[in-house]
Amino acid sequence: MDEQFNFTNKYRNILIVMMAGGVFVSLCTILVFKTGASRIWANVLLNNQLFLGISLGAAFFIAVHRVSLSGWHTILQRLPDAMTTFLPVAFVLMLLIYFGMGNIYHWSNYEGHDAVMEIKKAWLNVPFFFIRMIFYFAGWISLTWLMRRSSIKLISSSDIKFHNRRKILAGFFLVFYGITVTSSSWDWIMSLDAEWDSTIFGWYVFIGMFVTSLTVIIMLTWFLKRAGYLKYLRADHVQDLGILLFSFSIFWTYLWFAQYLLIWYSHIPQETIYFIRRLEGFKPFFFINLVVNFVIPFLGLIRISSKRNLNWVALIALIVLIGHWLDYWLMIMPAAAGDKAGIGLVEVFMTIAYAGMFIFVLFRSLARYPLQIKNDPYLEESLNYES
Amino acid sequence: MFQSPLRKPLIEGTKSYRSITTDIIDPMMNKPGKLWYFGVTLSGAAMMFGLFMMFWTVWQGIGTWGENRTVGWAFEITTFVWWIGIGHAGTFISAILLLFRQKWRNSINRSAEAMTIFAVICAALFPLIHLGRPLLTFFIFPYPNTRGVWVNFNSPLVWDVFAISTYFTISLIFWYVGLIPDIGTVRDKLKKGFKKSIYNFLSFSWKGSARDWHRHEITSIMLAAIATPLVLSVHSIVSMDFATSVLPGWHTTIFPPYFVAGAIYSGFAMVLTLLIIARKAMKLEDYITVDHVESMNKILIATGSIVALAYIAEIFISWYSADEYEYYNLVNRVTGPYNWAFWIMIICNVVSSQLLWIKKLRTNLAFTFFLSIVINVGMWFERFVIIVISLHRDFLTSSWTMYKPTIVEFGLLIGTLGIFFTSFFLFIRVFPVISIFEVKSIHRISGEKKGKDLISNE
Amino acid sequence: MKKKVKTLLAMNSRNYISVFFSDEEPLLQAVRKLLASNETILDVRSPFPVHGLDKLLSIKRSRIPVGGFIFGALGATLAFSFMAWVFTVSYPLIIGGKPYFAAPSFIPITFECTVLFAGISMVAAMLIRSRLKPDIRFVPVDEKITDDLFVVLIDSANGKTTLEKIRSALSDIQTVEIR
Repeated sequence: MDEQFNFTNKYRNILIVMMAGGVFVSLCTILVFKTGASRIWANVLLNNQLFLGISLGAAFFIAVHRVSLSGWHTILQRLPDAMTTFLPVAFVLMLLIYFGMGNIYHWSNYEGHDAVMEIKKAWLNVPFFFIRMIFYFAGWISLTWLMRRSSIKLISSSDIKFHNRRKILAGFFLVFYGITVTSSSWDWIMSLDAEWDSTIFGWYVFIGMFVTSLTVIIMLTWFLKRAGYLKYLRADHVQDLGILLFSFSIFWTYLWFAQYLLIWYSHIPQETIYFIRRLEGFKPFFFINLVVNFVIPFLGLIRISSKRNLNWVALIALIVLIGHWLDYWLMIMPAAAGDKAGIGLVEVFMTIAYAGMFIFVLFRSLARYPLQIKNDPYLEESLNYES
Repeated sequence: MFQSPLRKPLIEGTKSYRSITTDIIDPMMNKPGKLWYFGVTLSGAAMMFGLFMMFWTVWQGIGTWGENRTVGWAFEITTFVWWIGIGHAGTFISAILLLFRQKWRNSINRSAEAMTIFAVICAALFPLIHLGRPLLTFFIFPYPNTRGVWVNFNSPLVWDVFAISTYFTISLIFWYVGLIPDIGTVRDKLKKGFKKSIYNFLSFSWKGSARDWHRHEITSIMLAAIATPLVLSVHSIVSMDFATSVLPGWHTTIFPPYFVAGAIYSGFAMVLTLLIIARKAMKLEDYITVDHVESMNKILIATGSIVALAYIAEIFISWYSADEYEYYNLVNRVTGPYNWAFWIMIICNVVSSQLLWIKKLRTNLAFTFFLSIVINVGMWFERFVIIVISLHRDFLTSSWTMYKPTIVEFGLLIGTLGIFFTSFFLFIRVFPVISIFEVKSIHRISGEKKGKDLISNE
Repeated sequence: MKKKVKTLLAMNSRNYISVFFSDEEPLLQAVRKLLASNETILDVRSPFPVHGLDKLLSIKRSRIPVGGFIFGALGATLAFSFMAWVFTVSYPLIIGGKPYFAAPSFIPITFECTVLFAGISMVAAMLIRSRLKPDIRFVPVDEKITDDLFVVLIDSANGKTTLEKIRSALSDIQTVEIR
């Protein structure tokens, strides 16, 4: 019950090597191949969005489970909680985009003489862009910090008021998150294709974030189990994680298809430009995206027995995580970098560097407190969970 | 399986398995009260009025409706989408809540599923009567014919046919499969006679064998697993009737999930309308507790908020798209001649359910009942706003016109309400309104009086 | 197959002993005891599915879901290939400026047919495998089984299993009746 994650020096060193090595190789690649500024900044944005999405999706996971009075996740709750501690780092990284605005957000270079952009500039202008960014992060960071704090208090105190408090906070968070995740995806990703718009886009990105965070929760569970922690984890918990990954991958595919079918069907040039940009030159990636994010989790996790096997679920999770990296790449790169986009050493090693940073922050937070929240009123239920 | 002490009991009072059976079957077997007669007469009258209006439509023609060239769809398609939406709550409760292991669904799923079937029947009437020549309805099905043509599989209207037929079929068999053990219970409670042989026939010789239960459980879970994407797909396909067009206000990618969220929203409101009355009239307060109502209200907040979020997305993107037609559609909704419908929609759909954040209101049955009707009115107007406002003023200003419904169209709406409620009143007299075996199976863990007190003394 | 025939024969010739219970716990205890003493249990009947009974009676996980998947895949293939044939071979038409093989348009109907085939096949499989069919002349072992009574049916055709033997074996478990 008092097991606590030990952030050993071995882990620290591996992660530092990942971070330093990733940055070093990326810089070398950029200098050697003279990678365009737009591609570099597009990569910064891609990784920012990927890891921000993982943190926010984890916060959403926790909030939804709290509000729906779900008990099964209780022995795992510290994992997504720890993932949300990356948000302040994500904030700083997103602020850095200021220096590369002109390279990826073509609307920031707008100088007049365009009927469409003339209207949009009331929303798409640099000052307002960053004011909104600060607003989003202020809400996300403060609400997740408050939720985390109430949870941690339950380790030492058994006062039910902390549990009630975090339920109410979860409600607030869900409302704030629902609105801001949609508008932030308009700001940060949709505006890359400045003349394009799609009402479902916010929800599509939202669910993509959730699936991505699920894959990380699953892989983290696998890692901790292998390292000897999470003694109370049963196949029943793994099955529920598997069910979530399975069903939300299908839901993501449904949203992807809704957007694609409707734009394909009506064939309006203002809308089809989005897919034409991605199909011309990046066709294989476009279809691999579907196969990896739909076909593999669907066939791989359809059987109940496969959902109960942590090794298998973690493998599928890893594949789906790479698949969603590709999905972000497809959303961001063709628009930001145009024909200079590609998947090469820069992409791989920048992601490795970011991953190292993310896992470092995660492990540090995970190690600060015990892995189980002793006085959680649903703990007993979760330990005896049978599906 | 352990349950946290924080959880409130799902079955209140001291119950044995026998008392669960009698509580649920007695209202069905005893003579109906005055309230039932009153209800059935009222809804029966509405139904007859509606059936006559349907006959009148087919006999006289679609000219008896208020549609014109510009506004080719209005009342009927609104009511059609509204009914399909209402039906979705039943499948959501039966299937999705089963997959999410929400045990509180066990006492409401039977009536919710029945509601789905009646709602889909009401909805399916509209495609039949809105054709100029209803006798040729069979044209919609792909069979080798002497005309040498096939149906247009590319059209969302044909997708609708497949979607709604599948939805009706699967809902019906899901409902019936769940009913079989309970029909067995009713059969065994009856004395010899005509009634007993009918139930005997309908019970498919159910004997409660362990192997049969095993298969029954697995089939139920599998049906739930396929009904979940089905429910998402049906209303998405219905939304694609509009979204695949190029009309401002219709062609927007958010329609599929937005319609599904709205459907669950109005469906749960209708379930609440029905069950708040039924639980009182049939004395089932111990099974459909205030906590059940509160849980359903939470789903109302969630889906209502998703609908509100969709409105925000639509409104913002209308402006952001810098498309003058799209933007005008928004302006027309807010300030045009039908803006009263728009504001009814906003108040009834968005403002109303946000009140449920207050716990006192969430657990107040009278407020919930009133709110559930308000929400359904709002959701009817939402479809009206989407359909009529986008149609009556689109690209060509010389085609702009107004739409006025006729008495025949009102009659059809009232008629379907009559069909729906009459069917529900009949249903509660014929089949157990609560799933008896599912309630018994959660009694040990979630009943108020747990453990050894379950032994009946009779 | 052999076991099922035996079950039916034994049922028909009434060569079985019924032990009635009023709750799950005594039922499970009794089943464990009877299996330990090598009695042949023909059937266990209950008003609702009893958790844990499947494992005790070694009921193998039903293959209905597998059948559902296969029929679903069949439905998907039939629907998609039929539509593709209609629009590319039988009567190609240019509709809405889309290509003849308009794959995205075919997806909704394909999905619906998948669900339809899967659902109907699974329910049919369940009814057929459990031999559930409408039968006016059906008479249950006891009318209270669908109400609040649980019963274990033990094979007594072999002569060794007698009423007294069962009574003494289950003497410390709360039963309602043994007959």
